[in-house]
Amino acid sequence: MSLPDFQLLRPKTLTEAVARLAENPGETQIIAGGTDLIPSMRQRLFTPRYLLDIRGIPELHGIRQTAEGLEIGALTPLTVVEHNEILRHDYHVLAEAAGTVASPLLRNMGTIGGNICLDTRCLWYNQSLTWRKSCGFCIKKDGDLCHVAPGGKECWAAFSADTPPALLCLEAEIEIAGPKGTRRILLSDFYTNRGDERTRLANDEILTRVFLPRATSGYRGTYRKLRVRGSIDYPLAGIAVAFKAANGHVEDPRIAITAVNPAPLVVGGVKEKLNGKTLTTEVAEAAGALAARTARPLTTSALTPEYRREMVRVLTKRALLDLAAPERKRS
Amino acid sequence: MSDFSVIGKPVALVDAAGKTTGQGKYTDDLSMPGLLIGKILHSSYPHARINRIDASKALALDGVVTVVVGADAPNKYGILPVGHDETALAVDKVRYVGDNVACVVAETEAIAEKALELVDVEYEPLPAWFDPEESMRAETDLIHEQRPQNIEKEYHHVFGDPAKGFAEADHVAEGRYIANEVTHAAMEPHSTLASFELDPQTGKPGRLTVWSSTQVPYYLQHKLSIVLEMPMSQIRVIKPLVGGGFGGKSEVIPLEIIAAVAARKAQAPVKITYTREEVFWAHRGRPRTIVDLKTGVKKDGRITAVAAKVIQDGGAYCSYGVVTILYSGALLGALYDIPNIQYDGYRVLTNKPACGAMRGHGTVNVRFAFESQLDEVARAIGMDAVEIRERNLLKPPCITVNGLRVQSYGLPECIEKTAERSRWRERKGKLPRGRGLGIACSHYVSGAANSIIRSDMPHSTVNIKIDRDGGVVVYTGASDIGQGSDTMVAQIAAEALGCSLGRVKVVAADTDLTPIDIGSYSSRVTFMNGNATLRAAEAVKKQIVQSAAKRMGCAPEDVVMRGDRVWKKSAYPEGGPEAALQAAPPDAPTVSGRVEGQILRGSVQQKRKEEGPKDQMSFEEAVVSAIDFHGALTGTGSYAPPVEARGGKHKGAGVGPSPAYSYSTQVAEVSVDEETGEVTVHKVWAAHDCGRALNPVSVEGQVIGSVWMGLGQALQEEMVWKDGLLMNPGLLEYRSPSAIESPDVECIIVESVDPEGPFGAKEASEGSLAAAIPAVANAIYDAVGIRLRESPFTPERVLAALRAKQADAKRLQLSGKVDPTHPETFREHGGSLSYRGRGAARHPLDPAIRRKSGAESEPKPEQGAS
Repeated sequence: MSLPDFQLLRPKTLTEAVARLAENPGETQIIAGGTDLIPSMRQRLFTPRYLLDIRGIPELHGIRQTAEGLEIGALTPLTVVEHNEILRHDYHVLAEAAGTVASPLLRNMGTIGGNICLDTRCLWYNQSLTWRKSCGFCIKKDGDLCHVAPGGKECWAAFSADTPPALLCLEAEIEIAGPKGTRRILLSDFYTNRGDERTRLANDEILTRVFLPRATSGYRGTYRKLRVRGSIDYPLAGIAVAFKAANGHVEDPRIAITAVNPAPLVVGGVKEKLNGKTLTTEVAEAAGALAARTARPLTTSALTPEYRREMVRVLTKRALLDLAAPERKRS
Repeated sequence: MSDFSVIGKPVALVDAAGKTTGQGKYTDDLSMPGLLIGKILHSSYPHARINRIDASKALALDGVVTVVVGADAPNKYGILPVGHDETALAVDKVRYVGDNVACVVAETEAIAEKALELVDVEYEPLPAWFDPEESMRAETDLIHEQRPQNIEKEYHHVFGDPAKGFAEADHVAEGRYIANEVTHAAMEPHSTLASFELDPQTGKPGRLTVWSSTQVPYYLQHKLSIVLEMPMSQIRVIKPLVGGGFGGKSEVIPLEIIAAVAARKAQAPVKITYTREEVFWAHRGRPRTIVDLKTGVKKDGRITAVAAKVIQDGGAYCSYGVVTILYSGALLGALYDIPNIQYDGYRVLTNKPACGAMRGHGTVNVRFAFESQLDEVARAIGMDAVEIRERNLLKPPCITVNGLRVQSYGLPECIEKTAERSRWRERKGKLPRGRGLGIACSHYVSGAANSIIRSDMPHSTVNIKIDRDGGVVVYTGASDIGQGSDTMVAQIAAEALGCSLGRVKVVAADTDLTPIDIGSYSSRVTFMNGNATLRAAEAVKKQIVQSAAKRMGCAPEDVVMRGDRVWKKSAYPEGGPEAALQAAPPDAPTVSGRVEGQILRGSVQQKRKEEGPKDQMSFEEAVVSAIDFHGALTGTGSYAPPVEARGGKHKGAGVGPSPAYSYSTQVAEVSVDEETGEVTVHKVWAAHDCGRALNPVSVEGQVIGSVWMGLGQALQEEMVWKDGLLMNPGLLEYRSPSAIESPDVECIIVESVDPEGPFGAKEASEGSLAAAIPAVANAIYDAVGIRLRESPFTPERVLAALRAKQADAKRLQLSGKVDPTHPETFREHGGSLSYRGRGAARHPLDPAIRRKSGAESEPKPEQGAS
């Protein structure tokens, strides 16, 4: 499958990038690592007139420590996020989640910004033009019906990136640049939980930076990923867990899940259930049940929704128990 | 161990450098001036009549040269003479989503793709058949008019007296096993380049040359001749490097014919390379299979009878189907001693991509059922799984009840060695909960004793030419597809001629240059082409020896060719080939110095230098003297399987017989995570009887590859269907194992030295696959006590089975309500596909539409909520 025709724009500064984007919003798509966009373009899921290659913008690269925490440039490769010493030590859950994305080669290309903005996925959507014709298309692209959702009037494609649940647990914020300047929002306000219009990034805006607050630095955390293969696969479910460990009990616990809804979601009610508690099996199971209740997987993948949901429960429980006894070797 | 110099040594494959440096050329790497690109328009409908194709808009696009349709080449072909049901492009109707409708030929791929969207096809949807058991009840809207009930072929075989056998049994087990569909997933997608030369006399397209990623260049030549109505002699097929086949390139694939038809119509060379999605549609993989199996045993473990009813969902065309369904029955025999066998096999047509031959052709899914059930009966009579297998060994040489001749038989040693290395007897039943051991056996043919197109002609012929430069050129039709046949041929020629491997050059798989070899399938190449090579080398050797004997003044029997030299036996150093190499003068193996001068200036000068009888000569000297003596130095060897190995007389007896069978045993050690259903394979001990390992490292590679491929089918790989639509036509969602979950495989080579194999060799590339699946199934049972009768054993299936066993646990509802411990039918993907008037319309009688009006509810987002 060849790539559709497009014109490549290569700005050298953020100002230039924003300006170029503003010239043809809606007809321009941003490319960074390209690991998700290029295959999708071959499948004619996207046929933008312009591709805005932002890799030449120096200020979007790199990780910096600031007074308020840590700042990660949107173009930072996932491999760097995975191996960065500060992240591994202070924001472990993020480094761990980054290390599970796809395969080593794809992590070298893929960026943290791209992972945050990743398109939602569905077996009825991520297919070639020819394939999609044979099922009459779907509501996310070229069609007017969702094949997996009741009534079919809304898109239920699953948000399938690994790092956002970790970032949610860390209360990350993101910086967005647009024609009116930059704005900074909580990552949790970025997603819509709709499969088609998945984020609140306007078509003339660029995600530029990720901020990790000092407050969550040093939180104990881990990420669990359900997949069939030990590499390459997108998550079929993903669970990030983080909390402040204090004298054998849990403080400020957070759980976020991915790949089982159209957005990465923070599991509600966790603080109430877990705060101040010691992580016993009972407590971990209760948290697992909460996470499973938040998960709404549909038949967007080859594994059944029931199984994926059940694994959200099991993997949440395990993640917590493993954190409770970090010295205990995971099975 | 042996006194061989080249065989039995772990030599690097002769084509390794090109493949590892990227310099090797595969078909898609080839180009030529004026090359055009072909792109195929595929059907969006599972079953529909084509009323009209209007390509005018596509033809009007700048850069489009021509559009090819079915009417351009309507002759039917198929790999089997009984299954000529394919055409290059659909002539009257399409039979699966992905069927070939038209081909656009353009200057670039991008233009061709654009033009595809402009081809206007008017379809009239027909009711489609997706489930084989439903399809078998079809009375109207048949997939092929000449196949009533959509049954491609059925066979009913009875050997011995099964009823009596079951009556004598102390225990009888019965069960339905389901194996879901898998495909080859070879690394290289299919690619073909076709080019006509202009006939210098007429100025019209004359000879055709086709470069193609094929396992069967000679069959391709034959089918091209049928479709293009050209004499075979005007068609040359060349096989460049092939990046894996596994059976997926062992027949003529639509693009190979389409490229040639397109090149003729475009009057220019045309190349077509499939996208990965197209590879999935071309398919020819292992059909999803229902096996209803019954096994009877005595208390002492002896099998008294086996009855199997096998239904294969073959897809829309015959392909190798008739052979597949016959292998499924025939290879119930030749592994164990089974006195009574009943076999009912049905190859059924459905509106899905055609299934065909895939590594372990026809045997794998039945072997999964059989070896699983053998464990079940062993448990029922309280016998160990190793012991029951040892109780049922054949006593070769023998002819099985279904007419298969077995000579070399390394199975006992395979069982013994795997049990020993895995410490089966010490560890079985003593592992902690959740961890288990399982054993299973398998076997495979070393080539079919009867070729697809029945004849008494040789299956392989090999020519060898040695010229004055002392180089040995072997011309073989054998198709190296990565399995190492070029290396095998070189090793056999070098061994027979006593020369170094570097002296041998292999010219392979070019129908103009190389004599026929019917192809790389059914694991026939080492046995058959190897034997032909050996015979050709011996024919040449005889001539060299004859002249050398004269020169050295001894009898031909007293001439030894070894260490790149020719020796008088009395002068041949004690200590075998290594000593011979040591004893040779330092300049001997090269083509330089004194020897070279003699060769270049011809034999006259050599005669002048004659120093009376010698007791040894360099290879070059011997060659020159032989050319002097005989005029030229060439030899030919052929192989046809012996009549005694060609099987019985019953209908369908042609499939199954082989001159020799390989044998395998595997022990798998697994652990099962009872909370997630995930199965981890920690290690596999795999013993394989390959007769003799001509190249041990190559044998190990083939065995380990077979085991990993088998583990893929056991645990991960599955083509997921929804009403004929393949939900995972790509390597992201069709999950072949990655390196991470491919465990350590300890390969144990067993050498039974077959009396008819070349140096005793048999097959090594397929037989080990089948044992992997039941070995894992049996190990899972050992670990957690669940018997999975549906493959692959995905985490959700394992977990569902585990939950079903725990009375108080929450049941896990798999879609389609298929219980993997007692599967009844194939499950469909759970998506609520709706075709109501959108996209590719479906016929009102399609299952998709019928189910809509029925009780089936659509999945809800809150489904499964506790």
